[in-house]
Amino acid sequence: MKAETPRQFIWVLLTLLSHYRRHPGQALAMIVGLVTGVALWAAVQLINDHARASYAEADQLLGAEASAWIRAHDDSGVAPADYIELRRAGFSTVYPVIDVRLRSSSGSFITLVATDLLALPLLAGGGSTMANPFAAASWLPMIQPPYQAWYPSALARQLDIAPGQQLQLANGQALPPALIQTQAQQGQRIFMDVGAAMAVLQRRQFSYLAVGHLPPAEQQRLAASLPPHLQLVPNHQAIDLAQLTASLHTNLTAMGLLSFAVGLFIVFNAVRFSLLARQGSLTTLREMGVSTGLLGLAIVAESLLWALLGTGLGLLSGFLLSQQLLPAVATSMQSLFGASLGATVSLQPVQVLVAFSLTLAGVGLALAMPLWQRARTSIRHSRSAPAQWQQEHAGVKRMAAVALVLLLVAGLIYPQIDSVVAGFVVLGLVMFGGALLLPLLVQLSIAAVATLLPQRHWLLRWSVSDAVAQLPHLRIALMALLLTLTANIGVTTLVGSFRAALGDWLQTRLSANVYVQSNTLDLAALGQAQWLAYAAERFGSSQRWQDRPTTVRGLDVAAPDAQALLLAQGNPADLALWRQGDGEPQAILANEQVHFLGNQLLGSLVELQTATGLQTFKLVGFVHDYGNANFQFYLPNETLLKLWPQARREGVALWLQGDTQEQATAALLQAGAKPGEWLLQDEIKRVSFAIFDRTFAITAALNTLTLLVAGLALLAALLAVHQQRLPEYSHWRAMGVGFRQWFLIVALPLLLMIVVTLVLAVPLGLILSWLLIHDLNVIAFGWTMPLRWTWVPVWQLSGLTLVIVFATLAVAVLRVRQTLPDALKQLAGNEG
Amino acid sequence: MSSAGSRLLVTKGWLRQKLLMLSCACGGLLVSAVALAESQQPYQLLRGNPAGYGAVVPGKPIELPADHLPHKDYRIEWWYLTANLQDAQGNDYGVHWTLFRQSLSAAADPGGWASNQVYMAHGALTTPAGHVYEQRFARGGIGQAGVVLDEQGHFAAWLDDWQLRGEADGPLPGQLVFTVAGAKVVLDLQANTPWVLQGQNGYSQKSAQGQASYYYSQPHIRISGSLQQHDESLALDGVGWLDREWSSQPLAPDQPGWDWLALHLDDGNALMVYRLRQANGEHWISGSWVDPQGQAITLGPAEVVFEPLATNPVTSAAGRVRDLPLSWRVALPAKGLSWTVSSVAADHWLDTAFPYWEGPVRVQGSTTGRGYLELTGYE
Repeated sequence: MKAETPRQFIWVLLTLLSHYRRHPGQALAMIVGLVTGVALWAAVQLINDHARASYAEADQLLGAEASAWIRAHDDSGVAPADYIELRRAGFSTVYPVIDVRLRSSSGSFITLVATDLLALPLLAGGGSTMANPFAAASWLPMIQPPYQAWYPSALARQLDIAPGQQLQLANGQALPPALIQTQAQQGQRIFMDVGAAMAVLQRRQFSYLAVGHLPPAEQQRLAASLPPHLQLVPNHQAIDLAQLTASLHTNLTAMGLLSFAVGLFIVFNAVRFSLLARQGSLTTLREMGVSTGLLGLAIVAESLLWALLGTGLGLLSGFLLSQQLLPAVATSMQSLFGASLGATVSLQPVQVLVAFSLTLAGVGLALAMPLWQRARTSIRHSRSAPAQWQQEHAGVKRMAAVALVLLLVAGLIYPQIDSVVAGFVVLGLVMFGGALLLPLLVQLSIAAVATLLPQRHWLLRWSVSDAVAQLPHLRIALMALLLTLTANIGVTTLVGSFRAALGDWLQTRLSANVYVQSNTLDLAALGQAQWLAYAAERFGSSQRWQDRPTTVRGLDVAAPDAQALLLAQGNPADLALWRQGDGEPQAILANEQVHFLGNQLLGSLVELQTATGLQTFKLVGFVHDYGNANFQFYLPNETLLKLWPQARREGVALWLQGDTQEQATAALLQAGAKPGEWLLQDEIKRVSFAIFDRTFAITAALNTLTLLVAGLALLAALLAVHQQRLPEYSHWRAMGVGFRQWFLIVALPLLLMIVVTLVLAVPLGLILSWLLIHDLNVIAFGWTMPLRWTWVPVWQLSGLTLVIVFATLAVAVLRVRQTLPDALKQLAGNEG
Repeated sequence: MSSAGSRLLVTKGWLRQKLLMLSCACGGLLVSAVALAESQQPYQLLRGNPAGYGAVVPGKPIELPADHLPHKDYRIEWWYLTANLQDAQGNDYGVHWTLFRQSLSAAADPGGWASNQVYMAHGALTTPAGHVYEQRFARGGIGQAGVVLDEQGHFAAWLDDWQLRGEADGPLPGQLVFTVAGAKVVLDLQANTPWVLQGQNGYSQKSAQGQASYYYSQPHIRISGSLQQHDESLALDGVGWLDREWSSQPLAPDQPGWDWLALHLDDGNALMVYRLRQANGEHWISGSWVDPQGQAITLGPAEVVFEPLATNPVTSAAGRVRDLPLSWRVALPAKGLSWTVSSVAADHWLDTAFPYWEGPVRVQGSTTGRGYLELTGYE
């Protein structure tokens, strides 16, 4: 050691690295593995962190603080005169907001938010701390006709709106010309001046007033200064959003980690080949007297280099990828949770550090450890092929043993799952257990097939036995493939099951033909019209229960949908009691979320805040309520209005008599409703599915990307195998082995291994989807649904895998043709 | 008239930082200046093209009380009060309160939510404990801010709960009420001397290129009032100075800013002097001398000396340090009068959308006194 100098170290390191000069394909595989792994993980992490940062800003609105809201008791809005009065009374941190969901003429739902930028509360003396809302000269065009509507660029793309264009609304109104520009906390919403919004939308009221920071005494004075129809409501959004979305982010993180793991498999794979090729170098170095310590140091240095390269390129690609995925996530967050995500992601130093540590750990595991082992054992065993074979065989058995342990642990933990994280641990154990079991299963299958084949098919038998020789090279790629196939089948089944459940649920839940939400509709004026089969009004009242946003909803029990109400849990006798508004204590229904997330059982007593104080109710049933992040209780309208006289109207559902839609719309107009204030059943369903699909867009994207990574792993592994065997192929060719025979020898064992992998992926995928649907989904969101198995993803994935296999075979064929003379020379050289 | 008479006639009015806010040719609004203030010279806003707006011309008489109300055809306008006050123990207090109005376009005001009128208000308070200030903005047309005669025909200027209300059709006698940093300031304002028409009967020229404003003041306001904070009320009394000024283009291209002084001398006289700093070093100096009866004479560069004596480092809330001239020599050689004027405290930098220094000063020399100093355009 003493004699060793930095110079020597560099020399050893260069010798190690020179390998990649001769085998750029392996360097490429290492980079692809590291970069894809880090990139997917980083993209997910960036999005998660960005989302969390946005939630933390939920106590702000458009760059101003919003610690509370002032709302009308029935949520009918706040009049400008009330607002001005509060400002004149000295509440200068109160500002007006219009926050509405609009429907475009093409049927998309968009949220619009508007305020008076001049009235936004400034911090004391804080001219420079105020985010400047305007570019110069922008005030007049914003507040005077034709006004301006500010779109974040992702939303403009989604709505296909170019600068200057006007978005047509379903009710015939048009929004002002578009400007691609955003405000702080605008999220995926359109922003307008509040005066402009009142003019364009023909509103006379704000949605609510937001209140910036107020000392407690001022807050009391404000509450006391409010006219009786208004109330001060604290803003819990920052806490609520963090809580409500936690599960979703855990899901994303799990997918990110899976991608990282798959990336590491590629690295493992590349290292295997590099080890084979570097065996000679390592042995020579040792024989030349390079100490184990120095070699170790060089290996650490190489790992560091790879980790640096992987982190750098990975983060860069991850950053770019997150920009692509963000709009989909932001839209989901807006439609599911009402959370506004900013438009830009930023990379934090801590993320860089975590990515680097993770990559370094991964490289250490995948590269340094095997390399180090090989370096230490190289002198004795290096040149002995049978020793390697033995090692392989023992390795496969060891893996299978580990697999069994993992699966056993998974089985032991499973009954105790109570959190999303625990669920993912079980899921990970099952998946990796399956993956580690794969080599043994492949080996056994090959052996079985080999013995089953009749003696006279010697070529087939040879080819099958040859698979055993290929297996070590493909093992890791096959495991990576298995992991992604499993994840793919599992997630596709989950999404498919969810979609089917949502469809069935909407079918019963949305049985009315027309839904009207209008402040001006005179329901009595519709009367006993011929076209009208039934009209049901709905009411709602909001409160916090178990510190979560909660709605108590009133239903018309005689309405067809309430008559046909399907319980996820509960017995029909109790449902009759609920319909009558009876029970001691009063019977109440709740959504499943109350059961799974609120930990309430059938028969549990719950206390809700009514207009006259706390009242106890008895839970008699749970109903499905997909897509709702909040708790919801249901009572008959009469009971609700008795207990919450100030409950808001939540619209009217109309059941039509036959095909009388035109009559119905004409009658609605006559009864005071305005165009655009009603929705047809089909539209709601279409929009629901559109939201659903957008919500799962990120899942689908990650799914595809992971599969792509696995495909790359397989491609790289196969190319390497073929490259290594090229001389052999050439030899056979020279011996006169025809293409068909070659194909049989080479492709058959490959296909056999792929088929075993695919076959194993099906039960594993099924287990995964079972876990996702029956455990994780319930813990995370509180929704139950039946698992619907379909073979479609299996066929699709099989097809895709086969395409990859045949593509690599085709490349191999080409290379054989190109390099036949060289290979023959090499062969001659080797044997000579 | 002195040899500098022609110059003398066209001086007066000073441009206060108010001008800055009154945004400008670029047609932006007050707040747009926030960005500009950070990225470029905010004062540029005051040099905007006045085309289409009302022109400031000599010979147009000031008509009171009508001219107490807004002149929407002019781009910028303000109601500006400074006050030097004392409590029963003789501790010094300072108050500075301004309401600025701006017409964002030369077009007629459509009113309502589409109004082209915007308002900005500054409220600052100096106590023995230090200096606090706030700025507020509001659009016109919706009742949040404005200057009108109310139903009783009384003058009212307000933004949110900050207000200056007259007991009749003008701001004086009247009452100023505003809160800053949790302290409520209530001041009763009385004056029994006539309004002083600055410059040439209220026509106040700002440069040789023709920039000008309409400008009149009340330098002899007697004030009694209170400062309410933490459930305690502290009685204050003293003197105040109210300025009214409106223009469409108050600043010339080669004028980076100005220094302005308004002094209440203990012998009952009042002195106002300012200089518009010009790029060529030939500062545009002007002022007025007002006797205890309110009779005023306009001062030109030949009659008044206004020179910085020393600069002091001033640190803004944002941590930036500027060297500002907080000590001045002021003299009226013809009257044989000479004073040294220095700031009571250096920390009076306002990091508002239009940053400037404004604070109380003490006068020593031929007579003693107190007043307010304003320094603008210091980058």
